[in-house]
Amino acid sequence: MTTSNKTEAGRTDRDLAARCRRGEMVAFEELYRRHSGRLYTVAYRMTGSAADAEDMLQDVFLQAFRRIDSYRGEAALGTWLYRLAVNACLDHLRSHQGRQRKATDFIEDVEGLEPVADPTWQPDRALDRIDLESAISRLPPSYRAAFVLHDVEGHEHHEVADMLGIAEGTSKSLLHKARRRLRAFLRGGPDDEAGRPAAAVTGAGADGRRGAR
Amino acid sequence: MDTTRPTPLACERMASLVDDSVDDRLDQATRTQLEAHLAGCESCRRRADDLGEIRRRAGALAPRVPRPEVWARIAQQLAAQAPARPRTFWTGARVALAMAAVLVLSVVSSVIVLRDPRPSPPRTPPAQTSATAVHLSASDTVKDVDEHLRIADANYQQAITGLEKIVATEQTALDPAVAATLQRNLGIIDQAIRESRAAITSQPTSQIAQTSLFDALRQKVALLEDTVALINVMRRGDQAGAAKLIGSLSKS
Repeated sequence: MTTSNKTEAGRTDRDLAARCRRGEMVAFEELYRRHSGRLYTVAYRMTGSAADAEDMLQDVFLQAFRRIDSYRGEAALGTWLYRLAVNACLDHLRSHQGRQRKATDFIEDVEGLEPVADPTWQPDRALDRIDLESAISRLPPSYRAAFVLHDVEGHEHHEVADMLGIAEGTSKSLLHKARRRLRAFLRGGPDDEAGRPAAAVTGAGADGRRGAR
Repeated sequence: MDTTRPTPLACERMASLVDDSVDDRLDQATRTQLEAHLAGCESCRRRADDLGEIRRRAGALAPRVPRPEVWARIAQQLAAQAPARPRTFWTGARVALAMAAVLVLSVVSSVIVLRDPRPSPPRTPPAQTSATAVHLSASDTVKDVDEHLRIADANYQQAITGLEKIVATEQTALDPAVAATLQRNLGIIDQAIRESRAAITSQPTSQIAQTSLFDALRQKVALLEDTVALINVMRRGDQAGAAKLIGSLSKS
């Protein structure tokens, strides 16, 4: 986007936010039209459920409506909404696991996962081309969050780490494990990271802190 | 190329490099080292290929679209919190009206097909009256947008009532499981219709709420039409045609 386009987009965002603040429903509908697709898509993949993603979308826009006064125009409206949506998804994943002791609790749930059984492992078969989406929904929540934010949504590890409230090395470790688990799902075989220490897979230390190359 | 068989330890060491390679984060020297290993190790090469493929496909997943009902629900809740505003022109009214006209014709043809097994002289289709009403409205006899909306809605309702009558009298031809699926899906659509109407009541200018209502109405007509078609093919004993239609009924 060129500088003048950015300026124009910023002005449009601020205008739209101002109209929303004045309670113009048409403006709010415009906000929804512009951003609901992206927010729904990320929510659908993070929660693995269309119904949950719809609930999430509804919550996010109602929340945005209540909090529009706090939007000052520093970031794009879309970015502001996106962060609301990702946070809502993470809250959902955490509460889904029934743990609320601290923000990153759900990250810890990856330890001790049962390895995937190996009755149908077919090394010569091509990856199942059809069902990546359904395989993603089968990932443990923390793997899914890291995978969706990095590989699907295209964020860098430092951004993923920031959103999840974890170290950058942990983000890498979760992503690598997620990819191996997906490979196992798509091949109908074993998870080749199972049983291997996380450090060996990612090079991350016990505290998960390893700088990106 | 190293022709000796790679050791498990070497593979273990390369595993972390594979992901960095997939993410294009390796310097040239490390990349060369990894490539040399992959050239001699089929297992690691397969893993690298698979992980690269997963990464590519993840980045190319198609966007998803929320159902129109979601905005209808949001609009309803927002309206409850916001002060009333004057209504503005509803640009979707004419579109809905045009669709209603097409719909009426399609309902007419459904009825005729259903009656086909027992040939009778050509007769005026029962829905002809509403088709005429739509035509008159569309030719600007009715200027008011609300009136367009009302007529379009009324036409859908008339079509739905006609189809429901057919389905009610003929549905003994349906398998009980299919009939149950039909009722369940009709229930879901009816809920969407109710929510959309509520959203329009509280948010008369919302195009999404209006689109949502007419989407739901169209869905209901399509489902009922499929049901009528299914009754027809079952009467003819066309099992393959019936299976195909049952599939589409289940997906409605």
